[in-house]
Amino acid sequence: MASKEDILKKYRSNIREQFDMPDLSDIQAVTYPNPLLQFMNMTKSVGGNAIEVEAGRDINELIRELFPDAKEIASNLPEITIATRNPDEVGRARDLNGTDVGIIRGSFGVAENACVWIPQTMKEKAVCFISENLIILLPKSQIVNNMHEAYLRIEFNDYGYGTFISGPSKTADIAQVLVMGAQAARSATVLLLPE
Amino acid sequence: MSTQHSKAAKQFLKNQTYAHWHDATFWAVRSKRDNMAYGLDEWEQLREKASAIKRHTITHLDEYLDQFATAAEKNGVEVHWAKDAQEFNEIVYGILKSHNVKKMVKSKSMLTEECEMNPYLEERGIEVVETDLGERIIQLKGQKPSHIVMPAIHLNHDDVGELFEEKGISNEKGNHDPTYLTYRARLSLRNEFLTADAGMTGGNFGIAETGDIVVCTNEGNADMSTSCPKLHIAAIGLEKVIPNYECLAVFQRMLCRAGTGQPTTTYTSHFRKARPTAHHMHIILVDNGRSDWIANPEHWESLKCIRCGSCMNTCPVYRRSGGYSYSYFIPGPIGINLGMLRDPQKHSGNVSACTLCLSCQTVCPVKLNLGDQIYQWRQQLDDFGTANPQKKLMCRAMSMLYGSPGLYNFATGLAHWANYIPSPIMNCGLNPWADGHKMMEFPKKPFHELIKDIEH
Repeated sequence: MASKEDILKKYRSNIREQFDMPDLSDIQAVTYPNPLLQFMNMTKSVGGNAIEVEAGRDINELIRELFPDAKEIASNLPEITIATRNPDEVGRARDLNGTDVGIIRGSFGVAENACVWIPQTMKEKAVCFISENLIILLPKSQIVNNMHEAYLRIEFNDYGYGTFISGPSKTADIAQVLVMGAQAARSATVLLLPE
Repeated sequence: MSTQHSKAAKQFLKNQTYAHWHDATFWAVRSKRDNMAYGLDEWEQLREKASAIKRHTITHLDEYLDQFATAAEKNGVEVHWAKDAQEFNEIVYGILKSHNVKKMVKSKSMLTEECEMNPYLEERGIEVVETDLGERIIQLKGQKPSHIVMPAIHLNHDDVGELFEEKGISNEKGNHDPTYLTYRARLSLRNEFLTADAGMTGGNFGIAETGDIVVCTNEGNADMSTSCPKLHIAAIGLEKVIPNYECLAVFQRMLCRAGTGQPTTTYTSHFRKARPTAHHMHIILVDNGRSDWIANPEHWESLKCIRCGSCMNTCPVYRRSGGYSYSYFIPGPIGINLGMLRDPQKHSGNVSACTLCLSCQTVCPVKLNLGDQIYQWRQQLDDFGTANPQKKLMCRAMSMLYGSPGLYNFATGLAHWANYIPSPIMNCGLNPWADGHKMMEFPKKPFHELIKDIEH
């Protein structure tokens, strides 16, 4: 078995010329006059759904209206009272299979590409992917312009996992025809919450 | 005089309907890429930065690899080092065996193709299930990818429909609608995710500062592969490690815009630790030639590649000849170069698959000089013993002709007599020029005489 040292030593001795790290502080990245509007438009263009929630609106009622037929609803969020499953409490991750609607929280959104940063805040992250329909709760004040700003902001907790999600799972692997709902959520809805 | 590539391309071109579709499909992807690139004022600046970051990183890679491994170990991840494909396969098998794994789901990884991992594991009784839809299709078909991002692009919906019927994945005979087929594959793969003992992912990036493995997918299959099974193994080539998030932001913005013309992949997932209910995570760092390639004065920059696929999408030769016309498992401009680094004797036939139009290096997000490198490889064919003897002879004759004005004028003065040679003789198989196009007609007066007439 090769050791780390052997590989690194060989690589090091084979480098012929070294180059400096460029200055990245002068990147003139895109910004938007109205990042929230841009985020909502991008969410639609990547096949997702973005809804601005009015102050005082009952979230649980809204979700019920959006998915009237949903039987199994998974969430560990305290404000979600309609959940029938809790990703913190399932015995095995696979027990979350068959979830009609999964509800999770995002930290912030990115206007340029509709990404939402989802740090793992539940024991089984499967809920973010295994659910047929995904709902992301996001404070509408938390929208950054671009990925440079986003990567300055992302934070990890002890779970050591996080993902940017932009729209539903999709594929064009059969004859280049775009189909929503490949292996993970078939729809993605971002509920933009007032402060 | 035909190279292995042009012979294979002939097969591809037999089905003209499909060949036109292939060409048009990739040109559409290229156009989508253009819309993305032109949509950002900073696109060219990003390319400059991406190139400079990669140049810096791969010429300091020993330091960044060390930092990456240290950070990952601090996160509780077990880091392995493999010097070649054999060692990589042994390490994977060792980990799987120690956890008594019978079935492993995996997301797309060109590295595991490079190391031919699947057959190695299957021979040892481990079932490997590809979960990227395109990869799954070609796995069921017993084929290899024909594109690094769209691996099943050589099949149409009828091919896939028939395959799914045969394998019992779809149950409505004759329903070859892509939406239906995708849904049936979803159900079948869902069952695999739930019953697998291990999940393997590749990685688009490794972050030296934090030890994260970053995987970008549209399907969510990398996340599904790691959300249910109790074991996660991530495998990356050495060159996938980049310094930090500041650099990642540049590449994340470019990867998908360049590759598929989307503003981002649906999922950009950061794996830093195993799930609380899983065994600890393993990362395997694979050399397999990379530490040799960095020493190559003309070709070390191939290590900058981020595998977006944009060079093959734009390549006029790839678009008109398909992935299977190349002898290396990665086709297109980057595949020509990587194949030559891997084994020039075996893959020299690919260097002819280039018109030197340089479209590849015009779109490459990390400004890899792909076409220039292919030109360089061609200059070395004689050293590898793979230069074509007919072409060598022709080159010698041409340098004699063009090196002597007297001989040149004499020859061009006589050339028009060739017009009287009957077509069946001139355009026969012995004349390589006549392959695919008719022999040109020589003018009665050569250019030098024509220009004199005008001047007088």
